[in-house]
Amino acid sequence: MMRRTRSLAPAVMIGPAAGFIGLFILVPTALTIWLSFHDWSAQTPFGTAEWVGLRNYQDIFGELSVGRDFKMALRNTAVYTMLSVVIIVPLSVVLGLIVHQRDVAGGQILRTVLFASYMVPMIAVALVWSKLYSPTEGPLNQMLGWVGIGPQTWLSAPQTALYSLVLLNVWQQIGYFTVLAVAGLTQIPATLHEAARIDGAGPVQGFFGVTLPLMRRTLLFSAVIAIINAVQVFEPVALITQGGPAGSTSVLTWHIRRVGIERSQGGLGSAMAVTLMLALIVTVTAVFALNRRGARE
Amino acid sequence: MKTWKVLPVLLLSCAAGAVSAQTTEVSYLTHWSPETVALLDAAAARFSEQHPDIAITVRAVPFGDLLTTIRSSAGQGAPTISGIYDLWLPELVRDGLVAPAPDSVVADVAAGWPAGIAAAAQVGGTLYGIPNEVNVYALNYNKALFAAAGIDAPPATWDEFTAAAAALTDASTGQQGFGLINSWAAGVVHPFASFLASNGGALITDGVPMLDSVAAGETFALYESLVTNGWAVPAMGTADANTTGPFLDNFVSGKTGMIVMANWWESALRAGMGDGFDQIGTAPIPIGPSGEVASSISYTWQTVVSTSATPEEQAAAWEFLAWLNGEGTGASDASAMSDILMSMGILPSRTSDVTANQDVLGRDFLSGYVSVLENARAFPIVLGGQEFSEALQQTIESLEYGQITAVEAQASIQADAVSILERAAN
Repeated sequence: MMRRTRSLAPAVMIGPAAGFIGLFILVPTALTIWLSFHDWSAQTPFGTAEWVGLRNYQDIFGELSVGRDFKMALRNTAVYTMLSVVIIVPLSVVLGLIVHQRDVAGGQILRTVLFASYMVPMIAVALVWSKLYSPTEGPLNQMLGWVGIGPQTWLSAPQTALYSLVLLNVWQQIGYFTVLAVAGLTQIPATLHEAARIDGAGPVQGFFGVTLPLMRRTLLFSAVIAIINAVQVFEPVALITQGGPAGSTSVLTWHIRRVGIERSQGGLGSAMAVTLMLALIVTVTAVFALNRRGARE
Repeated sequence: MKTWKVLPVLLLSCAAGAVSAQTTEVSYLTHWSPETVALLDAAAARFSEQHPDIAITVRAVPFGDLLTTIRSSAGQGAPTISGIYDLWLPELVRDGLVAPAPDSVVADVAAGWPAGIAAAAQVGGTLYGIPNEVNVYALNYNKALFAAAGIDAPPATWDEFTAAAAALTDASTGQQGFGLINSWAAGVVHPFASFLASNGGALITDGVPMLDSVAAGETFALYESLVTNGWAVPAMGTADANTTGPFLDNFVSGKTGMIVMANWWESALRAGMGDGFDQIGTAPIPIGPSGEVASSISYTWQTVVSTSATPEEQAAAWEFLAWLNGEGTGASDASAMSDILMSMGILPSRTSDVTANQDVLGRDFLSGYVSVLENARAFPIVLGGQEFSEALQQTIESLEYGQITAVEAQASIQADAVSILERAAN
């Protein structure tokens, strides 16, 4: 009796959480995967879904507009994500080092300013930045003019629109990731820095030899969160660019909404969502693998 | 607690419940600006004074979110009434989201609207909405810039048009001869389709894409020449989710000599230009080498009722819509809807409203649009129309930004259009 109670106890305790995860995550995921092999209008009952095999996947990677648009959105999302992570994570460490210095003048103000940008709702950020980026009347081009730099196209040309959104994202997110960096720095015992100094290590050696290795887990977490946040970009595209110009800012969340909801093409939208999920799994797995290899070295 | 203290509260609660139970709540989803929504609210209040059992609540979303809101809120939270672009109707009907109109409304629409306009609110012969606005495209030009460039009159042919665009372009001052719009499907596709129509061509005829025609090839080539010669600067033509943005700002500030836009943007022009609005003239779309008469593209909007609403809510919604669009519910024998539309410079479609607003429709800005309405070709309403429109937008923008040539654009969109319409029809 006591043995049966013990063997049942874990199941009873884990059950509610597992049931929650199963109901709200696993079931919708399985349903989406199932729908990706069907032709289905999103506004009709599941029973009307018609099996088409791999046709949806062939279409989204094909040469006609369905495929071209999806591949463009996939490419744009990958570029946006990569640039956001590559800029945000190192920059957050730099700013974190500055903010972490209690004796630096203006540190408190910097902390406040940095985190304030994260507190502003994205819709307000998007609307303000759309005016900042205005090619003819925007303050950014006017300020560039003061220092002799010609007006930039920012959101108005395919060559610059996506990078302009990356800049907007970095501005909005840097405060949050700086807080994470500061939390990682705080966990490093001061004795290790002192020991390094006693051994003759300079500031740079101390950073690369002590600080950075001990921040590995914090940086891993930051990178994964930054990837997930970047992949989910939506408001700036929906509010400002509508995926343009010429599809240069069309990202997967925007495109899946357009296909799956506006056009009600549930099967195609599901195939796109499954592809995005697989890409994310591969990417995050690669990040963890890189981290493990670095830790072994 | 003593009963005598509780009883009045109970009685009041029951009375309140009884009153609310008798009031039918109807929600109205639109994409109109706050100023226009205020007019709709006022009209709804007047209706509710006469019909105290029906309460109307208006909700506005940006145009870019309108279709998504209608589709994603299907079910219990769906708006009772939605203002929709007629291109969306076939798929909304296919998916069972909109209710057929009752017989009284069918009779009213048949009697009160031109047959072509009423047809846009029908699918398979069944009426699903009440048409309200009709929009058409015309050439808008800046008279002051024309005078400064020595141009006496708006261009009537494509040759005159490109000559005017060249004369109006001054790269040193950032002035472009003609404004192309991007990042907004209708803003890209409708002007293109208007030039195509004025060149004797069509996007789709009897469900068959016609973008492989000579007329279409010439229209793609026209766009290519505008950009490669610097007479149109695509970076000056971006639009945002509210259909405003740099394309509007540059025309308002005198940086764009000509642009093709619909009549409804009159209110935006007036707001942006103030007294300077008098410098804006309108004219028919120039005739192309393969065209014979100046033509244009027209499209309509309509209000539909959701199938997710209860029978009582649907009945109340149709009652409100019949009143809103009915004769005499607005000023001077016009409908209340007509008053709202005219405030935005939008043409009403009901025959009696056009008659009642003859004087207003004759004013300078709108007269240019009214003159092209007769020869305008309705934008094709087909299953897959929205996807086709977005694919054409993508192709035209790629052409504008030099990513593909005119020949490549024509071949690509024709193939896409055939695929899209075939898939949608199956």
